[in-house]
Amino acid sequence: MFERRLYHHVDWGLFIAVLTLSGIGLAQIYSATGGWTGTVETQIYGIVLGLAALVFCLGIDYRSLADKSHFFYIAVVGLLVYVLFFGAVRGGARRWIDLGMFNVQPSEFVKAALALVLAKFFGESRRGGITRGDLAVAAALTAVPLVIIAQQPDLGTAATLIPIALAVVYVAGVPIRLLGAVTIVGLLATPVLWQFALEDYQRERIATFLDPEQDARGAGYQQIQARITVGSGGLWGKGFTEGTQGQLRFLPVAHNDFIFSVLAEEQGFAGVIVALGLYLFVILRSLEAARLAKDRLGAYLVLGVLASFTFQVIYNITMSAGLAPVKGLTLPLMSYGGSSMIATLAGFGLILNVRMRRFTN
Amino acid sequence: MVLQVSVVVTFAALAISFWVLQIIQNARYQEMAENNHQRTLALRAPRGVLFDRNGRVLVENRHSFTVSIVREHTRDLARTTALLAEVAGLDVGVVRQIVERHRNEPTYRPIVVIEDASLSQVAAIMARRLDFELPDVVVEQVPTRQYPTDALAAHVFGYVGEASEGQIGDGVRIGAIIGQSGVERAYNDLLMGQDGARRVVVNSVGREIRTEAEVPPQEGRRVQLTIDYDLQKAAEDGFRHAGFNGSAVILEPRTGEVLSLVSLPAYDPNDFAAGIDAATWASLNSDRLRPLQNRAIQGRYAPGSTFKLVVATAALEEGLVTPDHQVYCGGSASFFGRNFLCHLKGGHGAIDMRHAIEKSCNVYFYTLGNMLGVDRIHKWAERLGLVGRTGIDLPNEQESIVPSTEWKRQRTGERWYPGETISVAIGQGQVTVTPVSLAVMMATIANGGTRVTPHIVRAVDEGGGWKLATPPGTATQVAFRPQTLQALHEGLWMAVNAAGTGGRARIPGRDVAGKTGTAQVISIQGRQAARGSGLDLRDHGWFVFFAPRDNPEIAGVVFGEHNEHGYLGAPIAKHVIETYFAKKEGRPLPVLTPKPAPIPREADPDTAPVELGAPVARAGTTEVLTN
Repeated sequence: MFERRLYHHVDWGLFIAVLTLSGIGLAQIYSATGGWTGTVETQIYGIVLGLAALVFCLGIDYRSLADKSHFFYIAVVGLLVYVLFFGAVRGGARRWIDLGMFNVQPSEFVKAALALVLAKFFGESRRGGITRGDLAVAAALTAVPLVIIAQQPDLGTAATLIPIALAVVYVAGVPIRLLGAVTIVGLLATPVLWQFALEDYQRERIATFLDPEQDARGAGYQQIQARITVGSGGLWGKGFTEGTQGQLRFLPVAHNDFIFSVLAEEQGFAGVIVALGLYLFVILRSLEAARLAKDRLGAYLVLGVLASFTFQVIYNITMSAGLAPVKGLTLPLMSYGGSSMIATLAGFGLILNVRMRRFTN
Repeated sequence: MVLQVSVVVTFAALAISFWVLQIIQNARYQEMAENNHQRTLALRAPRGVLFDRNGRVLVENRHSFTVSIVREHTRDLARTTALLAEVAGLDVGVVRQIVERHRNEPTYRPIVVIEDASLSQVAAIMARRLDFELPDVVVEQVPTRQYPTDALAAHVFGYVGEASEGQIGDGVRIGAIIGQSGVERAYNDLLMGQDGARRVVVNSVGREIRTEAEVPPQEGRRVQLTIDYDLQKAAEDGFRHAGFNGSAVILEPRTGEVLSLVSLPAYDPNDFAAGIDAATWASLNSDRLRPLQNRAIQGRYAPGSTFKLVVATAALEEGLVTPDHQVYCGGSASFFGRNFLCHLKGGHGAIDMRHAIEKSCNVYFYTLGNMLGVDRIHKWAERLGLVGRTGIDLPNEQESIVPSTEWKRQRTGERWYPGETISVAIGQGQVTVTPVSLAVMMATIANGGTRVTPHIVRAVDEGGGWKLATPPGTATQVAFRPQTLQALHEGLWMAVNAAGTGGRARIPGRDVAGKTGTAQVISIQGRQAARGSGLDLRDHGWFVFFAPRDNPEIAGVVFGEHNEHGYLGAPIAKHVIETYFAKKEGRPLPVLTPKPAPIPREADPDTAPVELGAPVARAGTTEVLTN
């Protein structure tokens, strides 16, 4: 299945950049958790398994994968439903399937499945132009996992599904006017959602973001600490494992949501620029893959995967600097999390796949 | 294309945000990060240890525990307060009040909730701390002043307390413990030492991770006092044994070193060491017996008959009389139209100076006083140390007053009436002196005319071993004529060893010289008026002494508050003198028998009425006039 000539079309630059970011993330997890811990080991397993998933997603033609996309989609949604009833509870959220040695978080895999199924749906549409019926189907495909994930509750991951849908329908030719209308409806719906869809702690987080000093000991604490962490890093940083904010736990879950703050503290602005450059390179390079894609299916697939990745990267980095409300959104490739790492690397497997097979039939 | 551009723009915006935070606002966040994880703890310096003249430790330090709340990382202050109160067995309301009082202070400054916590409190709190239940509660070990258990020499040591607002500055920080009275205050600069500091790294719940830097505290200087523990104890035992309050000052007459300084009732300086509680403070302050007053330097009383020594010295040194000068005492004498009584109704007959001192004849000294006039009495009182302050190195000494024409004009604008001099001659009227000034007088008479400055610090260890403190200069040095000294010494010796009033201080072979005196608390007429007021109006008694008569080694005064008779102070002096010689000669120290036998009342010449209020012209009926 893996022809030798395809090997030469692999985007090694993209691959190395992705791997480098994972390595930086691993080093900062090592630092933030205080040395060689189980957390670091888990992350290494995540990277190894993720690379296997990447090779798997690269090896099979994305068109074959797209043909099976409805199976993937149904399987993942099934797992979500299973989690809803039988999942393992941690920190008040029911997100995981406990497999004994490790936990699997199915919501992370929804992103790739959704990107596949949407790309397939719009990419193979022969009718030319998009009907309202198409949009309704797309909305339904997105809404089902989204609502289930929101029930866990995991608003952050649920929100990452929206960029996937928007990106795919946008490139599939939905008029800007319609997208605008959807956005306006969304904005109008916000107060209603605020009232009914959000949990108390979620409302509190957003309220705190608007005025962090108001509750410096409570919810605003994390945001102020994030700013202090980043701001005290300076140009060159405090040095690897020398950051006081992360090391002394002024930042909660530093190895997870706030890994980029730890990087900013210990490696300074210089480290931030390197990491930002790598992420920018990865995104631009993937957009290039979408442009070069041989068919609409490939382009849609790349954009779908990339949309949630980009959204998460930008949001998390903004949050790490204390410039956005604190939300349980991890930084893909760098944050601690096995499922997230595997799903993200699998996603890049798909992107590399599209680019690699741009000349094949 | 659109997508590429928007991604690049977004990342540029992110980079700029990080630039602003990390480069432009770096200093500010750097400081915030440091405040976050660094905490500076003050390390209280132990105060200098006080020794007695023989190297015995008088005041030292013990370790006590203070429990405080550091609110810096407190999430729920009400919970911490309630839990701490519960664990330590305190009233929640009280703890809350303490916390409330310090609410506006910076959060990193510990709020001390318990001073001198008990070991069980400390154990209970530490257990909760280890459970992370009270991470914001800090238990610190601090050096605390420890005084001898029996409140000995309380007024010499004074006490310590937290610096008041007016005392802050000049090396004294907020919350510093400084001397508030006595030696603790007078020598605070030496004793205080220098607080150290420890900079520690704490984590987000306030737990100390490691010590970053430490400046160890510098213990205060060791100070040796001139006090002799055994004499101090002998004097205080003497008072306890005698059953009255008062004061005693015992000096080394040639140098002015204070061997013992007593003021009773006293307080327990230990009560102040770890912060005095409001109830104890209030009761000390409202006590009618005024335990906080150091009577030795702050109490002023009429010297009574002890003042006759001033008149005798003045008359002899001014050359008005010789010791053999005789005056006829018929029991009273008339001056300026008023009749003044002697205490012995029948009179002493013809009496010379030695016997006048021995028997404390009023008429003799009325006569000399009248010859001298008030200003010459004032002049010699000053040379003996009875005017103004003695200059002892303790805070808040009161001035002793012996009137003069000048003094009266300044004070009242009136001229001095010669009739007033007669009362002054026997230590009544406007004369009021402190016990310490009478001790100086006795030292001056004992050493032949050198007015010494009493002092209480003998040596200081500035770090390189003991260095003798420079003794304060002597105020005046007048060599008394040999015959003056001889007459005074013999008269005083006779008062104790012959037919005088000081017989209770007699020690065979020691040649104790002494003189009793009585200080009227109120005039006879006033006594009538104040009857039933509940005030203690009984007279005070004095006993001044030195020993031995030739080449005196010890001199002093015993003041008995409301003990009515000067001779009741003599046994206290006797016990001190006996202790002094026993110690000097290496014999076992004398011990007072537990309970004194009931003292038989004896006629006290000092307490007899000395003045009749009515002028001669109108008082034709008084029997005194018939003399």
